[in-house]
Amino acid sequence: MKTIIISCALWLAHLVGSAQADQLLGVWEPSNGKARVKIEKIGEKYYGKIVWLKEPNDPKTGQPKVDKNNPDVSLRSVPLKGYRMLKDFKFLGNNQWDNGTIYDPENGSTYKCIIKMTDSNTLDIRGYIGVEALGRTDVWKRLNTKK
Amino acid sequence: MLRNYFLTFVFFLSSCYFAAAQPDSLTQEEEDFSIYENLNFADEGAKRFCTPKVFDLSPSKFISLGYEYQGAFDIDYGNWSNASGSTTQKTSRFSGADGTRLSANIPVIAKTNVVLQVGFNYAKTNYHSYAINQNPLDAALKSNGLTTTGLNTTLFKPFSEDKFMIFQSSGDLNGDYSFSDPLHPKYTRISSAVIFGKKVNDRKMIGFGISRTYRVGELNYIPVMLLNWTAPSRTWGVEMLAPARVNIRKTFSPRNILLFGYELEGNSYRIVSNDGVTASRNIELRRSELKFRVTWETSLQQFVWMSLQFGYRYGYSFNLDQFESDKEFFRGFFGDQSYFQENKLGGTWYLQWSINLVSP
Repeated sequence: MKTIIISCALWLAHLVGSAQADQLLGVWEPSNGKARVKIEKIGEKYYGKIVWLKEPNDPKTGQPKVDKNNPDVSLRSVPLKGYRMLKDFKFLGNNQWDNGTIYDPENGSTYKCIIKMTDSNTLDIRGYIGVEALGRTDVWKRLNTKK
Repeated sequence: MLRNYFLTFVFFLSSCYFAAAQPDSLTQEEEDFSIYENLNFADEGAKRFCTPKVFDLSPSKFISLGYEYQGAFDIDYGNWSNASGSTTQKTSRFSGADGTRLSANIPVIAKTNVVLQVGFNYAKTNYHSYAINQNPLDAALKSNGLTTTGLNTTLFKPFSEDKFMIFQSSGDLNGDYSFSDPLHPKYTRISSAVIFGKKVNDRKMIGFGISRTYRVGELNYIPVMLLNWTAPSRTWGVEMLAPARVNIRKTFSPRNILLFGYELEGNSYRIVSNDGVTASRNIELRRSELKFRVTWETSLQQFVWMSLQFGYRYGYSFNLDQFESDKEFFRGFFGDQSYFQENKLGGTWYLQWSINLVSP
C-alpha cells in the first residue's frame, strides 16, 4: 500500500511539473509586433519558430523573407517563416526556462537566453552576452485565436 | 515487494514517455501559417507599445573602450584679465593631444512600457606642447590635461504603438583634475533633454524637444530634433539628434556600417591648477569642438565591434569664464556678459579608435 502511495505521489508530481513547464507552449508576440512565434516542445526541450511576419515579403525582391543575415552562408536562403529562433530551452522550475538561445534575424546574431513567465500571458525574454547583466529584455504576450 | 517496486518504476517511466511523446523531430514540417494571422492578445488588457529601434540603426554600445589622437594645432590666448604678471596675448603650438575614452551603458529596466538605461563615461585629453607658454591656462592644460567623469541615464517611455517620450540626463565632473587630486562634486555640470516623438513605422521615428546643454561649452537651452530613418532599400539612413550630432548611414551589411556626419562635443571645465593663479579665481574653460567625421563600424565577432573614426576637429569655443562664488550663470547666444579670457582653439585632424561590446 505504501509503495502505491509513493508511486502515485511521484506520478502526480511529475504531471504537475510537466503542466507547469508546458505553460510555455503557445503563440507569442514580441514587443515590436513584427513577428509571432509558436513555442513547441520537442522531447524535453522547448523551441520557438516564427509563424507570422508583419512584413512577410522582402521589399527589395518581393519574395518571402529569407534568413539573409545568417553568418552561415548556406542558411541564407532558408525562409524566415518557420525558422526556429528559440532553441533548446529546459524548464528550471519557478516559471523559468533556461539553457537556450535566441536568434535575431535582423543581424544574424545568436544570444544566450532565459525565459521568465511573469504571468500566464506574459514572458520576459532576456537575451544576453556571457552574463545576464549584459543583456536586453523583451516582453512577449500570449496570443489566442479570435473569438 | 520487489514486484511492487518494479510496477512503480514502470508506471513512472511510462508517464514520462507519454509526457514526452510530442513532435520529436527538428525537421520543418509543412504548416499552414495562415492560421496565425487572426490572433488576439490572450490578456484583453494588453497593449502594444513602440520600441526605441528602427531598422538598421548602428548598434548601441554596452561597453566601449577607445583612444583618440588629435594632430598638431595652435591655441591663440587672449588677455588674462586682471591677473598679475603674464597677461600678454600669445599663440601656443601643440604637437598634438590624445587620451582614453571609456563608457558603459546598461539597461536596468526593460519592459514593454518603459526602458531605463544607466551609464558611465570617462574621457581624458592630454595636451602635448613644444614649449611652455606663460599663460596660466596653457600651463594647466600641459600639466594636467582635461578630464571628464560622468554618470548618465536615458528613459524611453512609449505611450502607444507610435508615440513616445525620451528623457536623458547626465552629470559630468569636468576639469584639470586627476583621480589622486579629484574635483569637488559641487562642480558637477548637469545636462538634460526631453523629446516627444512619433514612430511613424519600423523605418522612421521623429521627435522634437528641448535640452539643457553644455555642448556649446557653456550652459545653454537649445531645441532638439530627433530623426532615425532608414530608406526602403535598407542601404541608406539618417541618425540625427540635432544639433548635437547628425550622421548619414551607409549599410553594407548589418555587421558593416559607414557613417558620415558631425558631432558637437563640449562641456565646462573647472580649472583648479595648483599654480595659485587659477585656483583662487573660480575659472571654467568653456570648451566646445565641432567634429566632422567618417566612422566605420564593423563586427569583429558576434557582439564585439570595432569603430574607427577619422575627421577634422574645429574649435568652436575655448574661452574662460570667471564665476562669482561658485554659481553657474546663463549667457546664451545673446547675453552680453564678457569672458574672462577669449581664446581661439585651432582646428586639426583627429583619429579615434574603439572596441565595443554591443547590445542584443
